[in-house]
Amino acid sequence: MVIVIIVVFLIIIAYDVQGFIRKKERASAVIIYLVLMGISLVVSVLLASGKRPSSPAQWIEAALKMVGVVK
Amino acid sequence: MEKTQISGIQLYLILLGFLFGSSVILTPALGAGRDAWLAMILAGVAGILLMWVYTTIALLNPSKTLVEILRDKLGKVIGTILSVLYIWYFVHLAALVFRNFGEFICTTTLPETPVAVVMGLFALVLLYVVNSGIEVLGRLSELFVLILPTVVLIISIALITEHDFTAFLPVLEDGMAPVIQAAFVNLTFPFGEAVAFLMVFPHLNRMDNLKKVVISSTATSSALAIFVFARDLIALGSDLIARATFIPHLTSLLIPEFNVVPLVDINLLVGGGVKISVCIYAAAKGLSQVTGTHDYRSFSRAVITFCVVLSVWVYENLIEMFAWAEKLWPYYSIPFQFVIPLLLLLLSLRGKNKPSQPNTENTETESCTSDA
Repeated sequence: MVIVIIVVFLIIIAYDVQGFIRKKERASAVIIYLVLMGISLVVSVLLASGKRPSSPAQWIEAALKMVGVVK
Repeated sequence: MEKTQISGIQLYLILLGFLFGSSVILTPALGAGRDAWLAMILAGVAGILLMWVYTTIALLNPSKTLVEILRDKLGKVIGTILSVLYIWYFVHLAALVFRNFGEFICTTTLPETPVAVVMGLFALVLLYVVNSGIEVLGRLSELFVLILPTVVLIISIALITEHDFTAFLPVLEDGMAPVIQAAFVNLTFPFGEAVAFLMVFPHLNRMDNLKKVVISSTATSSALAIFVFARDLIALGSDLIARATFIPHLTSLLIPEFNVVPLVDINLLVGGGVKISVCIYAAAKGLSQVTGTHDYRSFSRAVITFCVVLSVWVYENLIEMFAWAEKLWPYYSIPFQFVIPLLLLLLSLRGKNKPSQPNTENTETESCTSDA
């Protein structure tokens, strides 16, 4: 399953980066794209291997509790 | 900005699909119990006021998206930081709707299919819609969004014999506090989420119609949601409504000899599809404007992939998702839906009073172009 996820992501990334180079987009655009896809890939692999990282919902909940908005 | 335009009726239907989308399966004002209809009326009125704020911001900054307005009014650094936060908010909202959709389909229709597969296949269709542009989304809405009230009508007529009007009584048994709390939750979901439309409003062909279109769409959506809740309440009773997960789905099961569950699924496909498409479009467009990229489509695939992954990652199960949406989402949304838009409204009003702003000229030029 993990291999399939990695292969699918690599195909999408290769296809999109080709488009970025062809359109001569800015480096910042390529970096943001790679960061988004990188996070997606890492989280997908972790979820597929049963190691769920703490989620943004938990971070937001902790932040709201810290500022006293919710108990 | 790309030169795509949508008509008033298309915007009306996109917004109707957006606002009514998740209400097909969820009732955000349910915290007020049998008095939820009162909370929904309050939220509807407040929602119209909120839409007035959003449309006024759009009219005071003609042909500018939310990202451009933020950078224009708050400076490049603060504007870009807030734009990135808004992009995150749109992505998070899309992920939440994806998960709602996936959980509903997997609970009611496809119990053997993994939720990630359902959401992944839905994402492929929506990627095609988003990449086709806002005009195509407008035309799709013209074709499909009218299915939503039609299905509501079909199910309501089929249930005409199932009614107990005493389910509304006693009114305000626990006082006004739960009603006001539920009205606030309903205001943030779905009305406040329409802040994403600040990325879509510049595409309207006649900006002078903006307020009329948006407010009438909000009123229609609110009336539909109240009607659906009243129908569910008199058909199921308040006790069952308080215990049910997907209330309209449960109501549709009451119809004898006729399986209308696929109709509820279609409703969610249309409403959820419109809502996710708008959020993905807003996020991809925002990213392209922040990075100075020519085309938002460069980011649409990355954004939708991230949304699907996030929707699986963000909540462990259905109960956690519902608890988060009810208890934390409204407070988390306050800065995005109220604080920053009100600040932008004040800054835009202040900017309007300055003599150097040629706003009326821009509006006239745009109106002439669209008329031509």
